Amino acid sequence: MDLNIIQLDQNAIQLNESFTSSLSSLLTGKHIESISKSISTSIDQLDSFATHQWEIILHFMVGNYTHTPSKGVLFLLENSNLINSSKSSHNITSNGFQFLLQDVQFQLWQLLLQYLSLSQIRQMDLVEVTSFLFILGTLELGKDYSIDSLTITQQAMLSDLRDYGLIWQRKNSSKRFYPTRLATSLTSSAPPLLPTNSSSSFTSASNNKRFIVLETNYRLYAYTSNPLQISILNLFVTLKARYPNLVIGVITRDSIRSALSNGITAEQIIGYLSSHAHSQMYRNNPLLPVTVSDQIRLWELEKNRLKADDGVLYEDFRSQPDYEILLNYANSYDCVLWSNDSKRLFFVTLQGHQIVREFVKRRLPGGTGSASTSNSNSSTLSLPT
Amino acid sequence: MADGINQDYLFGSHDYGDLPLKPDHPNRPLWVSPEDGHIILEGFSPIAEQAQDFLVAISEPVSRTSLMEEYKITPYSLYAAVSVGLETDDIIEVLNRLSKVPVPASIVSFIKECTMSYGKVKLVLKHNRYFVESAHADTLQMLLRDQIIKNARVDSNSHIETSSAPTKGDLVIPGTKEAQGTNNQSGQPNQPNQPDPPPENTTNEGEQQNKPDDKKKNTGDEYFTALIDIEKQDEMEDDEEVHSFEIKSDEIETVKRRCNELEYPMLEEYDFHNDTRNPNLDIDLKPVTVIRPYQEKSLSKMFGNGRARSGIIVLPCGAGKTLVGITAACTIKKSILVLCTSSVSVMQWKQQFMQWSNVNDSQISVFTADQKEKFGGDSGIVVSTYSMVANTRNRSHESQKMMDFLTSREWGFILLDEVHVVPAAMFRRVVTTIKAHSKLGLTATLVREDDKIDDLNFLIGPKLYEANWMDLAAKGHIANVQCAEVWCPMVPCFYREYLREKSRKRMLLYSMNPHKFQACQFLIDFHEDRGDKIIVFSDCVYSLEQYARKLKKPYIHGGTSQVERMRVLQRFQFDSNVNTIFLSKVGDTSIDLPEATCLIQISSHFGSRRQEAQRLGRILRAKRRNDEGFNAFFYSLVSTDTQEMFYSTKRQGFLVDQGYAFKVITHLFGIERLPELVYRSEKEQIELLESVLLANESAADIGSDIKASEDDLAGTIHGVTKRMTGSTSALAGGQAMSYIEKNKSANKQITKDSRHSLFKKRDKDAADRAKKKKQRLAGEA
Repeated sequence: MDLNIIQLDQNAIQLNESFTSSLSSLLTGKHIESISKSISTSIDQLDSFATHQWEIILHFMVGNYTHTPSKGVLFLLENSNLINSSKSSHNITSNGFQFLLQDVQFQLWQLLLQYLSLSQIRQMDLVEVTSFLFILGTLELGKDYSIDSLTITQQAMLSDLRDYGLIWQRKNSSKRFYPTRLATSLTSSAPPLLPTNSSSSFTSASNNKRFIVLETNYRLYAYTSNPLQISILNLFVTLKARYPNLVIGVITRDSIRSALSNGITAEQIIGYLSSHAHSQMYRNNPLLPVTVSDQIRLWELEKNRLKADDGVLYEDFRSQPDYEILLNYANSYDCVLWSNDSKRLFFVTLQGHQIVREFVKRRLPGGTGSASTSNSNSSTLSLPT
Repeated sequence: MADGINQDYLFGSHDYGDLPLKPDHPNRPLWVSPEDGHIILEGFSPIAEQAQDFLVAISEPVSRTSLMEEYKITPYSLYAAVSVGLETDDIIEVLNRLSKVPVPASIVSFIKECTMSYGKVKLVLKHNRYFVESAHADTLQMLLRDQIIKNARVDSNSHIETSSAPTKGDLVIPGTKEAQGTNNQSGQPNQPNQPDPPPENTTNEGEQQNKPDDKKKNTGDEYFTALIDIEKQDEMEDDEEVHSFEIKSDEIETVKRRCNELEYPMLEEYDFHNDTRNPNLDIDLKPVTVIRPYQEKSLSKMFGNGRARSGIIVLPCGAGKTLVGITAACTIKKSILVLCTSSVSVMQWKQQFMQWSNVNDSQISVFTADQKEKFGGDSGIVVSTYSMVANTRNRSHESQKMMDFLTSREWGFILLDEVHVVPAAMFRRVVTTIKAHSKLGLTATLVREDDKIDDLNFLIGPKLYEANWMDLAAKGHIANVQCAEVWCPMVPCFYREYLREKSRKRMLLYSMNPHKFQACQFLIDFHEDRGDKIIVFSDCVYSLEQYARKLKKPYIHGGTSQVERMRVLQRFQFDSNVNTIFLSKVGDTSIDLPEATCLIQISSHFGSRRQEAQRLGRILRAKRRNDEGFNAFFYSLVSTDTQEMFYSTKRQGFLVDQGYAFKVITHLFGIERLPELVYRSEKEQIELLESVLLANESAADIGSDIKASEDDLAGTIHGVTKRMTGSTSALAGGQAMSYIEKNKSANKQITKDSRHSLFKKRDKDAADRAKKKKQRLAGEA
């Protein structure tokens, strides 16, 4: 009453008008007040939590399953087409590889945008989700905030955000939450993760960006002890040995093929190698040994040598003349893709099939002495190009 | 690991992530693996050059690419290190100084174990008596407790003799700067007891002068200075005393064998200065002959303490191995026996001796199947082949007499050329029948597909020196080479047969692939226009002949007679109309063609890394290598989707580790537009296929090329003889029907000295074309 917030009006309590408006704006998402300043968790703890959560996600993407992220995260990653999940295994996709090459800020927003786009499927109010993300950006690091002022949707978001490392809660049921640096830097240019300990993935990420030496004998020397970088390399390099600050591997046909089979492209690999090439490599022109980059591309081309054509296989000819008549007819229309005389088989294109079928109906009526064709099942023939 | 992320599984047993890094590790250039003695060197470190010198001395180079190099410490490399005078503690200390991580205990004990016994004992021939010598008296005492060695001792009651250790002293290796100094300015006082400061020393000072304020460099120098100190200490230690006892000369073999069994292999040193029993040979390098720095370095390893050590020097083809051998001969100045692999190289060695040294014709003689001469006088040089000397079959009377001559005398020095190709058994025979005081093996590649390197180590001696290919190329001693692998897709009908055939015929099919034929034709055409001289290699004699006849080029294979060979080679060297020759694997080694600047390989011996290196060597000595921007070319034609792809990658292994890069060419630009392109139509291709299928199976056999002459070393690739099974139809003459190429051998054209007017006209046209082209090019330039 001394503050003139509450006005007594007979039996009712009325709030000060300006207070009401600011409270309502607060509740609709313009501001959340920090509730206590005394029992705050240390910023170090928050940083290491955020880093840990974020690393789990990235490591999982590159196939390091020491920790498995929550189902929510998996759902998000799969739906963002960053990983490809089958029953037992998860493989990084081409998009996922591209994702790994970005900085944390970019990665974070990419995931959150994906989160937004998925919110409607999960029957969450887009406006509330969006506003909460923006609120997070305005909060102060190291302070805790009450969840009471959040809407139900926003409260539901908390567990997801916890998985991503944006917020920290003492307990899952806790009534308070702490935003981490990931959250508070959402709308600023400050680094979203700080180095916590020496072997963290984000240790001085900027200055050891140039760490890869690639030689003409396909050997790769990476000045790193960073588990994430090692895992990324492991996607397309056969690793041989590790020293405290150096990892040695060799690029082989098999290692590249396994990366290619996940959908990572040769250009992405070459791009990754060039953007992380060691400063000593800059003496070379071009930056990477041409033979190696050419070879990586050739290995990719090697994979794309099968060309699929839809068509129809003709089989089970009664006699050689039947086979020959039909084959010659089909040949005259230039629609035979493949034939085998000894097995009396040939394969025609879909367009050719129409013509050939007409011919069969005309020339070999009633099915007596005719060829039975497998035209009911149109099949696909792959031919090396 | 961060947050318990465990990546150990990625590295298996090669995870050394736990090794502690030294705090100043950025200044130190290498890592040492605790597991297998693997060493990784930062080639861009300021002290890399010094580290390289050290590592070459103590370990085997594994790969030497531009920025990172890898080495491996092996028992043999340590044996070699000890034999050139490095001590256990120094090796460990320098290694530790250079390493970013403390040298692992496992490696320390490995080095100790290997060096403890190696190289401690030497067999020295002094004043015509054999001595077992060692700096460690206790080692000798230990050996003398062995009954066999004790029995071989001359006077078993006498004490162990002690004398001062040998030093390089006033020994001057001819052809070096030092030698020039003594020869030209005899007035200037010679400084006998101060061997040349190591060349690194000067660079070191230079660096300090140039960049005195460059802190990093200075720290690097400190490490290096420490390294030099150790080398100086070595020299100091050399002044220590050595102990020795004499053994009977007829028991040497027994003692050597016994010492090997006791794991105290004896190093052989020849104190040729003090050998008065064997007459000196008056031989010296011609005054104009100057050897290159790396040749000097390799020889200084051999004559480091004023005696001749036995061992192997590894230099790339074309880097002047012959001159190293000749210089060594001129240093020792005793009777010399040179053994090489073929009669062609016998003649080349003789010619080289005449060219570089002042030896006269009567002092140098040749022992081959065709020529059996003895030199005049007490001492001289004999050049022969391994197979002549190691022959165990019946000899002709003449060659038996010659052999008696060789075995009856003592040789100061035996030079073994191309040691990597000779089967160990043959070496053993040579080494046991010929009494030589020192042995020097020369080779370009100590790679053997059969891992027989170990034998060489004990039959000849440790590897004394191995040069860095890329380094020599950068300094212009050998040619820069552009390597390329040309992918030739299999023509469909060939591929169909390829999939159907058994392995032997397959090889014929992929080497006769019409697309490969076309690529070969195109490349020959392209490079002849550029003015290159081209060698085309084919292991398969059948394809060799087919290609050569179809493309109308001369060829040489095992069956070509000596006279014809010489004539073809001469025409290739001197006739501007003969710019391309086809060679079978007789040309892999020892055929010296400095004119050649381009090399095309159409078929090869499976995955032999050594053959690839040898062949590359054919163009490394290109005469024009010092022209500005000059590049030699090495093409390997590979039929895609065949075994050849696999072999090709394997073959390149050695060169790729030396820093060579093979560029893959999938399409030769402009090949469709080449006039007279062979096998363009499907009909021609099918005809070719038919002839290939008709060809005798043995045509695919690459071993069929070796029964050339008595001199040539049989099966120079592996020394494997294949038992051939012929088909019954072949025996019955059922295979008489076969395709005959209508083109005549181009060899025949060459043999005709007066050319037919038709050819003359063609030659003239060709010359005109070339001239016009040159003019046009000049105009463009």
